[in-house]
Amino acid sequence: MRGRVVVKPGLVVEGATVLIRNGRIQDVLPKEKKGIPADARVWDMQGKTIYAGFIDPYLSLGENKATPVSNRWIVPIEARAGISFKGVPTTREDLGGKGPGYEIAEIHPQQQVSDGFTPNAKAFAELRELGFTAANFIPNKGIIRGSSALALLGDGDPNQLLLRPQTLQHIALEPAKDYPHSLMGVIAAIRQTVLDARHHQEMKTWSQRNPNGPRPKYNPALESLDSVLRATDKQRVAVEAGSVLMTARMAKLAGNMEFDPVIVATGQEWRRPETLQQYKLPYIMPVAFPAAPDLPEEQDWDQVSLDQLRAWDWAPEVPALLAKNKRAFSFTLHGLGDRNSFRKNIQQAIQRGLSADVALAALTTEPAELLGAEADLGTIEKGRLANLTIVDGDSWFNPDQPVSSVWIEGRHYVNDPREKKEKDSGEADVPNEPTRRAAKIPGDYRGALKGAANILILDATVWTCGPSGVITNASIRIEDGRIAAIGPEIGAPIPFDGIIIDAKGKHVTPGLIDCHSHSMILGGVNEATLPSTAMVRIADVVNSETENIYRQLAGGLTTANLLHGSANPIGGQNAVVKLRYGAMPDEMIFSKAPAGIKFALGENVKQSNWGDKKTTRFPQTRMGVKTFFINRFTAARQYLAEQRAHRVSGPPVRRNLELDALGEILKGERLIHCHSYRQDEMLVFLRTMERFGIRVGSLQHVLEGYKIADEIAAHGAGASSFADWWAYKFEVYDAIPYNGTLLHERGAVVSFNSDSSDLARRLNLEAAKAVKYGGTSETEALKFVTLNPAKQLGIDRWVGSLEVGKDADFVVWNGHPLDTQTLCDETWIEGKQYYDRAKSDARFDAMAEERAALLSKIQKMKPNENAGLTARAAFFRRALEKAHTLNNCYECRKAKP
Amino acid sequence: MPKGQTMKLVIVYLVASVGLVAETVLYQAAAIHTADRGTIENGQLLVQGNRILAVGKQVQAPPNTKTVNLGELQLYPGLIAAATSLGLTEINAVRATQDTTEVGEFTPDVEAWISVNPDSELIPVARANGYTHALVAPLGGVVTGNSGLIKTSGWGVEDMTVKPRAALHIMWPVLSINPVPKSALRNPEKFKSPKDQAREREKKLRTLDQFFDQAEAYAKAREAHGDQEDFNTVPAWEGTLEAIGGRQPIMVHANYERQITSAVAWAKRRGYRIIIAAGLDAWRVADLLAKEKVPVVLDNVFRLPQRDTDSHEVNFRAANVLHKAGVKVVHSVRMGNWGATEVRNITYAAARSMAYGLPRETALQSITLHPAEILGVEKQLGSLTAGKEATFIAVDGDLFDIRSNVKHMWIAGKPVSLESRHTRLYEKYKNRPKPKAVQR
Repeated sequence: MRGRVVVKPGLVVEGATVLIRNGRIQDVLPKEKKGIPADARVWDMQGKTIYAGFIDPYLSLGENKATPVSNRWIVPIEARAGISFKGVPTTREDLGGKGPGYEIAEIHPQQQVSDGFTPNAKAFAELRELGFTAANFIPNKGIIRGSSALALLGDGDPNQLLLRPQTLQHIALEPAKDYPHSLMGVIAAIRQTVLDARHHQEMKTWSQRNPNGPRPKYNPALESLDSVLRATDKQRVAVEAGSVLMTARMAKLAGNMEFDPVIVATGQEWRRPETLQQYKLPYIMPVAFPAAPDLPEEQDWDQVSLDQLRAWDWAPEVPALLAKNKRAFSFTLHGLGDRNSFRKNIQQAIQRGLSADVALAALTTEPAELLGAEADLGTIEKGRLANLTIVDGDSWFNPDQPVSSVWIEGRHYVNDPREKKEKDSGEADVPNEPTRRAAKIPGDYRGALKGAANILILDATVWTCGPSGVITNASIRIEDGRIAAIGPEIGAPIPFDGIIIDAKGKHVTPGLIDCHSHSMILGGVNEATLPSTAMVRIADVVNSETENIYRQLAGGLTTANLLHGSANPIGGQNAVVKLRYGAMPDEMIFSKAPAGIKFALGENVKQSNWGDKKTTRFPQTRMGVKTFFINRFTAARQYLAEQRAHRVSGPPVRRNLELDALGEILKGERLIHCHSYRQDEMLVFLRTMERFGIRVGSLQHVLEGYKIADEIAAHGAGASSFADWWAYKFEVYDAIPYNGTLLHERGAVVSFNSDSSDLARRLNLEAAKAVKYGGTSETEALKFVTLNPAKQLGIDRWVGSLEVGKDADFVVWNGHPLDTQTLCDETWIEGKQYYDRAKSDARFDAMAEERAALLSKIQKMKPNENAGLTARAAFFRRALEKAHTLNNCYECRKAKP
Repeated sequence: MPKGQTMKLVIVYLVASVGLVAETVLYQAAAIHTADRGTIENGQLLVQGNRILAVGKQVQAPPNTKTVNLGELQLYPGLIAAATSLGLTEINAVRATQDTTEVGEFTPDVEAWISVNPDSELIPVARANGYTHALVAPLGGVVTGNSGLIKTSGWGVEDMTVKPRAALHIMWPVLSINPVPKSALRNPEKFKSPKDQAREREKKLRTLDQFFDQAEAYAKAREAHGDQEDFNTVPAWEGTLEAIGGRQPIMVHANYERQITSAVAWAKRRGYRIIIAAGLDAWRVADLLAKEKVPVVLDNVFRLPQRDTDSHEVNFRAANVLHKAGVKVVHSVRMGNWGATEVRNITYAAARSMAYGLPRETALQSITLHPAEILGVEKQLGSLTAGKEATFIAVDGDLFDIRSNVKHMWIAGKPVSLESRHTRLYEKYKNRPKPKAVQR
């Protein structure tokens, strides 16, 4: 055939001839060159453009097609426990799903799309109309979903069409019905599965050498992961994480777990463009752009947030953003409600800065490479399959030029010449305005405001919260983020090269520390399914994007203990973070903080307020709570013993992430922070832990702690209380605001925490309540929100007081820190300023201005009446990072799930 | 205050309570914050029986007046919690203890004050931090019923009721729409298009209006019948009579701007006297509220900003924005259990507004005189003024400073205990002997 041949992106040969024989490209002859074989049938492609056939690397068809990973993580209240322990010994009869496999039904890597592959003539014809000649068919459900299959989109039987029967493995961060039902649970389950797969291989090797030892169990799920985990020639894994932060999490996890990921883009990469540089991974790029909504009244736009407007404005520019950051990517129809908008959306992406060559690569060479099919697909070169896409005109990127036919393995498929559709059913808004972006990125409004290696604070009233007490007219010198000198007389070089803070008339305190927070957690605070979820980690799901960070910095908070919820006796692992707003989640982690874990007692764990149906999970009583702890710690002891034994001899021990965490507690390497209310349950808990030689890190809430203050002090557990909450549940009817003072007077280390994204903004005033109720001294009261929580978290060597050598985390107040009339002027972490009240209004004014610009842009655009539902839904999709539900008090809401 | 003085006070109370003739007592305090005439340093408050006779630097006391020297303590009017569920709830998670919320869209005949549990442990806790009065209001559908003002001390409901039928309550219909398309809903069968929802919200407002059309028709008919016995009274309409007759305000609970503007326009058209309660967005329409003389009961000072472009300080500043525009501001807590346990902290919401510019005098009025005025009890309560009820508290410092404590309370001249479940448990466990197990 002769025509305008786009051999590959960037190489166009006008009037060239493509020679096809036996379904393969035999040659591409330039215009001048002769050599058309005599037996060849000649197709004249005058006025047409010939592309290599397009490939969709991430396609799902039919009624049960895969939907994009949802951000709707809910706090589950289901009480089913499908996994192998229930706190009491049981025999498993099923493995979640039917037949052999992994113990979590949603983890089925052994499944293969090719096994059930059935050509779908009608759907294939529609795909060919867009120019597609091959597609990689993906599995539609589950967490580890199985292998996809690359097939040609022609007529024929499955044997003929399947080009690569096993291409990618697939992971999607979606909740299971039972465990794992939270985002952190899903990640924990993936981590455990990979460990299990490695163990499975070790077991097989071991048993070959030890034929008389235990027999390795049959497990097709784990077997199938071998191809993903082996040292060379790995099967790639397509990861659909559903959010930008989780994409980064999975990229990092892939590095640790040694698998080779391909990222399914969220379309929101603008939230953290730097992650595109950090992990140099290939992407699969859906082009489902949000459509502007049609709202009944002008006033209804008040409901639309800046974040939604940004997501709308950014979407068409994300492909260009990926290209700018040198990320290879392939386009896919995935998530697109109306396929007819595919070309229009790509056209829009080109208008927003994507080069047509890169766009073409994303349809041809990139997906071919991604799927390991570059020998057969992707370019019009000798030896490739004769998969060609023919456009009437000079460019596929002009949606008005139809794809008149495609060739698949040398066979010609003519597309029905369609009438130009009466209704324009394009999904996105085809802009009738200049396409300049009005949206900025979150990074424009956050990050350290200033900082210097040398900082000098002059003339302040300094509440050291250390042995020096309160020092008036004091100075502090800071070097490299640490306190170098503090006192009324300190030496400082003149002139001083650095930042000088004149704090005359002001008070300086250590940065406040919240020992109980849920303010920065993604995808569910509770993994509420199992009675022990010690394997889940808050550190996997820290939300660095929430405005809560700024709001709490504005109240002087610098460190927070992010805790799993209290839905189960043994909850997840906590994460202590510093509020370094702007940093990625892993950079917020207080890396020196000892590991910790959330435990819980009482009404929440026995599901008292979960409704009348939730009565089957063990435990349902305080009796059972204690029993459960004894069971789990006994199991953990045995597990540690097995591990020790294996070091001498014996089969490889399966690493169990739940027992790992409990084992760390036994070894004194992980602190328990235990949600608790009643005196009896707390005392029993302390005694139970003492039996196992465990010192409890802190009792959280500890509202009847005042009744057993001596015992708590003697055990050495910290007491982290609310200042004055009470009466929201029966077990807090005896909560009194004197709790802090009474515990403190009897020698316990007491802190006041927030458990509320609002209250965390004024912990200094909560501390004042210890003065009010019972008369704790002001210096001791301030320690309730500084040094004492630091002690409870085991971080008091670095933070909690202003002493030489400690981190320069401090707050400048415009008055006495316990006075209601005092405001936080500045908040600093490690010598960097993160909040300045004087600059705060300008920040919000700029955001309001950005929103106004976006609003004017979107309102000028005539609403696209025909925009598909999916595109309109996409507009209102709240990003996972912005889907906070815990606006106010967590504990009081929890009473009624 | 030295211990000796406490003893003296106790003796005075005893004398006062056994005397047959109304006792006259002169209270000498470091400061008297009148709430309507500023602060009198080292002032005197003269009380006869349940009334204030005089307030001043040096007042004329009749013979036989007992003098009580309160030393460094400062006097404030008794504090009033403007819209609460106090007494209607005990423990949030225990359903049996809830009497806050009735079923039904239009239930104006529901009366909240009659269901107050006089022995609720929440009431003395509110009292302990200075709250002598609370408006107890019903939650429920749209027109939820009538609230009543109670005092926080008394033997029973009748004894505690200060003003029944203090206000009629409307939970203004939510006017925002859910624009999320069907495909994105968790329950797609519940989908309604934005246009349908827009029609629906119009209908909600129309229904509310029709309800009051009927109520007015009833009121007219009832008036025409006088006290004739043949008139069939309808309890539901009876519940609206005071409000539509203008003898009682309507408290409209609304947070969002368009709810508030819609309620204000509605009230203006119908000639009703309304109060906006909750009022998250009230500051955005401060000028309108000032022009229409609509007071605002703010329960949102301690709440995260609603919009992602709002300053983190937006709700701290709201009260002063309203005040500067000329709106009468009241501070309160949210309705429901959580708010009922938090009545004692209303003072600190006012303190927060004060830190963001609300004048001290206005902050004090926002929890004393203003609630008294909007509820029509300003002749008896709300300030320390000659002729008003002798309901006041003595604080050992600045009322708005968390570190201060309320040391004494008088309601209608009589001293009231500040003991509560909290102080009792405190005293008990403060004195717990060290257990043997830990005596090492």
